[in-house]
Amino acid sequence: MAPAAAVVGLLLGAPVALLLSYGFAPGGSTQADFSDGATLENYAAVLGDSFYLNIILKTLWLSLVVTAASVVIGWMLAYFLWRAPERFKALLTVAVVAPLLVSIPVRNYGWMVLLGDTGLVNIALQKAGLVERPLKLMFTDLAVVIGLTHVLMPFVVLSVMATLERIPANLPEAARSLGANRLAAVRLVVLPLSVPGIVAGATLVFCVAISSYVTPALMGPSGAKYAATLIYQQFMSTFDWPRGAAIATILLVVTAMTVVLGLGVVGRRYRHLMQAH
Amino acid sequence: MKAVLVALVLMAYAFIFAPLLVVVVVSLNGGTVASFPIESWSFRWYGAAFANASFLNGLWTSTWLAVSCTIVAMPLALMAALALSKVEFAGKSAVEALLMAPLLVPGIVIGIALLLSASLIEVRNAPMRLLAAHVLIALPYCLRTITASLARMDGSLIDCAMSLGASRWRAFIHVTVPLLRPGIMAGMIFAFLQSFGDVPVSLFLTDARNNTLPLAIMAYLEYGVDPSVAAMSSIVTVSSLALAVGLERLVGLRRAVG
Repeated sequence: MAPAAAVVGLLLGAPVALLLSYGFAPGGSTQADFSDGATLENYAAVLGDSFYLNIILKTLWLSLVVTAASVVIGWMLAYFLWRAPERFKALLTVAVVAPLLVSIPVRNYGWMVLLGDTGLVNIALQKAGLVERPLKLMFTDLAVVIGLTHVLMPFVVLSVMATLERIPANLPEAARSLGANRLAAVRLVVLPLSVPGIVAGATLVFCVAISSYVTPALMGPSGAKYAATLIYQQFMSTFDWPRGAAIATILLVVTAMTVVLGLGVVGRRYRHLMQAH
Repeated sequence: MKAVLVALVLMAYAFIFAPLLVVVVVSLNGGTVASFPIESWSFRWYGAAFANASFLNGLWTSTWLAVSCTIVAMPLALMAALALSKVEFAGKSAVEALLMAPLLVPGIVIGIALLLSASLIEVRNAPMRLLAAHVLIALPYCLRTITASLARMDGSLIDCAMSLGASRWRAFIHVTVPLLRPGIMAGMIFAFLQSFGDVPVSLFLTDARNNTLPLAIMAYLEYGVDPSVAAMSSIVTVSSLALAVGLERLVGLRRAVG
C-alpha cells in the first residue's frame, strides 16, 4: 500500500499542488516567479475578462446539455436493459458499455464522417429533399454535444442500472395492478426510485464533459472555444502557463463542487433509498 | 408504449454503433476519399496505414507504454489491495481515496500538472514522462478490479493452506494469486486499454519521436483525411471491443467499468 500511495502522492499530489501554485504566479511566461510575491492577477484576468468568462460559461452550458441528453438516452436504455429478458440482458448490456473502452478520437472520427458536409446525414437529408445544400453540422457546438453524449452516455446507463436493480422487478406490475397505466407506473414508481442513479450518472458526465479535450478539439469550431482547448492553448501555443494554471484550477474547483453537490444530494435526500435494499 | 420504447431503444443502439461502423465501412472503401455510397471495396488502406510512419511510431509507442505501465502498476495495486483488505487504521479511507484520485482528477489537469513538474525538475526524456503518467492512470483500474475479486475471495482458504504447512509466501503464490487471477487479468486488460486510448494526459508529455497512436490519429484527423486513418481506427475499435468481451468473460464488464 505504501508504494502505491507514494506513487500517487508523487505523481499526482505534488504535481497538482505545483499546478495550483502556478495559478498565483505573475503571468506571461512558463516560469512561476514568486520574487514579487503571489498575485491574483490571473484569476482577475480570467474571471473579469468576458473573453475567458464566456468560454468557461459556454463550456458549463454545453456540458449541461450533454448531461441532459445523456440522462434521457441513458435512463431509457437502462430501463430497457432492466426489463430485458434475462437471456439477452448480458449481451445487450455489453453492447452499450464496451464502446467506453474505445479510444475517444476513434469514436469521434465516426461522427466526423457522419456529420461532415458530404457525410451520410447530409446525403440522407438531401436525398429526402429536406435540405437543398448541406447543413453545417461538423465543427459546431451541436457536433460537440453529439460527440460528447456518445462518449459519456454509457456512464448514465451503468449508474441507473445499478439503482434499478435494487428495485424489486415486479414493482411496476404491482403499480399496474393497483390501477396505474404503464406510463404512470414508470413515471410515479420507477423513475423516482432511480433518482440516486440519475444524480450519480449526471454528476460523472458533467464533470468529465467540462474538462474534456478531444471532442471539442476534433469536432468543435476551430480555435480555443472551450475550457480544455483554452487551457491547451495557454500551455502549448501562447506559453502563458500561470494563466493556463488558473483556468485549470477553476475547472478543478467546479469539478470538486459538482461532486460534493452530487454526493450531497444522493446522500442526504435519498439515503433512505440507498439503504432500503 | 412498448413499441415506442423498442423503437427508441433501437435508435439509441444505432446512435451507439453508427459512428463505429461507419469508420469500418470507410476503411474498406477503395477510392481515395470516402464518398457515399461506396463504389468499390478494397483492403488497400490497411496497407497504407501500416506504411504510414506516424501510425507505426504511434502504434509502437502506445503498445510498449500500455504494456509497461500495466506491468508496473499491477504489483503496486496488488500489494495495496491486499494491505487494505487486511489492516484497519485511522486514515484508511483517506488512503483509499488517494489511490482512486487519478480517476477523479480530469485528465487534462493531470497532463499539465505533470508537464509543469517535468519541466521544473527537467525530465527531458519523453518515454520516462509518459511511463510515469501512465502508471498513474493504470493504478486505480488495477486496484478496483483486484479489490472486487478480493471481496469475493474466501480468506479462510489462505488460513487453510498455512495450517497445512504452507509458508506465507507459498500460500500467496499458490492460493491468493490463483484465486485473484480473474481480477488481476481484468485489471491488466482495463489498465492497458485506458493507457492505450489516453489523449489528455499524453498530450502534454510526448515529443516528436514518441507520439502515441491516439495522438497520431488525432493529428491525422485535424489535417486532411485519407481513409488510412479509418483503417487504423478500425483496427483499434475491433481490438478494443474484443478485449472488452474478454473483460466481460473474466469479471463482468459492468463490474470492471462501473
